Amino acid sequence: MRDGIAIARLGIPAVALVTEKFWPQGDFVANSLGMPDAPRVRLPHPVAGTGEANLERIADAIAPAIIEAFVH
Amino acid sequence: MTGMLSAANEAAALERLHELKCTDGLPVVVPTEARVARMALASGLDRDLALGEMGPGKGIATVEKVAVAAVMAGCLPDYMPLVIASVKAVLDPRFDLTEMQATTHCTAPLILVNGPARHGIGPIACGFGALGPGHRANASIGRALRLAMINIGGGRPGESDMALLGHPGKFTYCLGEDEEASPFSPLHVDLGFAPEDSTVTVIGAEAPHSVLFSGDGDDPESANRLLGCLAIGLANIATNNAVLTGGAAMVLLNPEHAAVLADAGLNRRGIAERLHGLCAHSPDELARYAAAFASRRTESAADSRRSCFASPDDILIAVAGGTGLYSMVMPTWCAGPHRNRAVSVQVEMAQFCEIPTENP
Repeated sequence: MRDGIAIARLGIPAVALVTEKFWPQGDFVANSLGMPDAPRVRLPHPVAGTGEANLERIADAIAPAIIEAFVH
Repeated sequence: MTGMLSAANEAAALERLHELKCTDGLPVVVPTEARVARMALASGLDRDLALGEMGPGKGIATVEKVAVAAVMAGCLPDYMPLVIASVKAVLDPRFDLTEMQATTHCTAPLILVNGPARHGIGPIACGFGALGPGHRANASIGRALRLAMINIGGGRPGESDMALLGHPGKFTYCLGEDEEASPFSPLHVDLGFAPEDSTVTVIGAEAPHSVLFSGDGDDPESANRLLGCLAIGLANIATNNAVLTGGAAMVLLNPEHAAVLADAGLNRRGIAERLHGLCAHSPDELARYAAAFASRRTESAADSRRSCFASPDDILIAVAGGTGLYSMVMPTWCAGPHRNRAVSVQVEMAQFCEIPTENP
């Protein structure tokens, strides 16, 4: 979340990917950094370490949401 | 003036503080205006003085807000110089507090006190059970820092403090170096401070890992065996120090273990250099047990052992605790932009203002 906001502040469009277990922390960081509506997309948890096939499934599933977040 | 809450009585105020997630889960002393004023006055500093911005919530750590934490933690006004110094230490950018508060690792700030303030404030326990219960100054100073991290920094479990489990040192984690029982010069002197200075050295640390070692005066290898045991505890391959490398760690030698090493001709620097050499793993070990992290490494010397520490300076060594079989090692998180450096801050005793003992 913090990285996404830092990138956005550089003027580069950014969408943060936040897993569901870390969603409240994403809200906290976005609020504390003064960008509560910073675009973010919810991922299942865990992602890391779940294997390449699962990563591809997740990527396929969330790609439309990422594109949607960039467009709006 | 910090915003005021109101309640019908002390019990209701305490429950309100619990409801607002302003406590560490244990009862606190209700920070009434009069109590906070006395605590802030003891610091000798302007109560609106901003010590810095505390992450991840970006609260401004004023002297008054720190005084609120100190009151809640049960500090005496006399403790304020140490509380202020500890807050200053974690606000140093090299400490990486914002990232440290948010990490999934269990890290907690360990406060080590050196110099005459150990006797003048508290006293700060340095010997038997120094990290355990029963020492008001140790308990409440460490707790004050935690309450500041909660209420100023906004670190709350599962919401902004994402430690998967944490550890009991997140309630309080403070002790002094037993300089009088140490065969070495005090830690703060080796860090460049004067012996008459008082300092806090704060390091984000795991819970203490006990290191069992029984010395043998007839064994010329005794010191080497002790160093080996300390190294195994300090940087076993399940620690961040072993896998991420580049961070710091703390070694607390009990006086008996310190004497074993001193009798072998080692001073603090010599011990750190030996541990630096011993705390290392082969690429094969790292690939087997920590492949996800080891694969990120770029070293090309495939057959060389990789040190867990960038420098012997990153291994802090102090003498503390009762004398006997057990020392302690504290591995650390090792991440953040500055790798979560240990920070030492001089305790400003000159500003301290003695407060009458009356307790409102």
